[in-house]
Amino acid sequence: MEFKQVVGLRRSIRYYVPYRPVERAKVQTVLEAARLCSQAINQPWARAIVVYRDEMPEADREALKVPTTTAQLDMAPVWIFWYGDPSAPQTAQKSLKQLVDIGALNPSHGWSHSYVDDVIWPQVLQPIAGDQATLLAVTAVEAGLAICQALLTAVDEGLGTQITAFNSAKAKEILKPADHLIPLWVQLLGYAAEDREGGGVRPRAPFEELYFEGQYGHPFERDDAVVDKLKKEGMIMPEAPYKWRRDEVLALARQFGLPE
Amino acid sequence: MTTEAGPEFSLPEDIGDLPAVKHWLEAQARHWNRSQEDADRRRKLDTLRSFCVIQQIDPDALVRSLFRPTPEGPRIKLKRRRIVMEQIAEFEAKAREETQDVRRARDTGNVVRSFLIHNGVAMSAPVVR
Repeated sequence: MEFKQVVGLRRSIRYYVPYRPVERAKVQTVLEAARLCSQAINQPWARAIVVYRDEMPEADREALKVPTTTAQLDMAPVWIFWYGDPSAPQTAQKSLKQLVDIGALNPSHGWSHSYVDDVIWPQVLQPIAGDQATLLAVTAVEAGLAICQALLTAVDEGLGTQITAFNSAKAKEILKPADHLIPLWVQLLGYAAEDREGGGVRPRAPFEELYFEGQYGHPFERDDAVVDKLKKEGMIMPEAPYKWRRDEVLALARQFGLPE
Repeated sequence: MTTEAGPEFSLPEDIGDLPAVKHWLEAQARHWNRSQEDADRRRKLDTLRSFCVIQQIDPDALVRSLFRPTPEGPRIKLKRRRIVMEQIAEFEAKAREETQDVRRARDTGNVVRSFLIHNGVAMSAPVVR
């Protein structure tokens, strides 16, 4: 699938075909994409635990739910629990020097082993590692980049996907993540039972209210020709709700015995 | 007259005018953009009534029992919610025993779930595969 179409087609899918498993190769592909994401200090900030719904005892499955994460957990056959790793900066001195050695960080931009050892490590990274608020923000952003690539790759693989909340205390007991990891989201994978367009693109804030040019408050003016081009290329798709969406949801609710 | 749980518990024959019930029926019809047929309305009200009789609680009190007032506004009682979810599951299981029909039994449980959902209490049901 073309990249722009992947971006355009991604939706939070909440209805999955419960009996159709996801091929293990597709799960691996999703994880491979996450591993290749942009990562500050070239350290992995995200960890994932893959769980197969049907291999998990019912009591555990129920325990992982929260009020906003319910039927979709029953329907999706694969769950990827994402965690952030705030310990990533601890080995950054080594990973940054590795980037110098392979020609990614270069003297042309001021980088050297000495710069890493004498400046970046003691004056930048150690203070960040010691400041919980900053560390948490960086961890969440960096892990989010990995999760984003995992989401888009799932779409590219023809899967439905969504990230949603989970009961992190119960997950700690059941999945046994390392103590220092921060629970973030569970990503669901499965084949969509609803239309992949999910009834249309969800409402978004106006472009000009989000993005600025030169200075905050000066909107980046949207060029209609670009918008038209992106519509043709499948990145900007029709907005929700499609006329038939309620009927679709009602039919799905009845198919799966869900409340109306 | 409606009363809360107790030895003199009673419910009116038609519970459709109780505030939480009225709100549910109106909100559900509005959400799905469908008017309720009389028979369907009757079935839903009878089902909800049966549940409330078993639990000895009127529909308004059932909704109230799931929230606690706080200075910031009402907050959901999660433990109570879990208890009610179990009560609905038992209610549904009883209907399954009586009808030997999974789908009909599920509809029965879903009537109560729908009543609570449209009154602000998130409910779920295991997916029928």
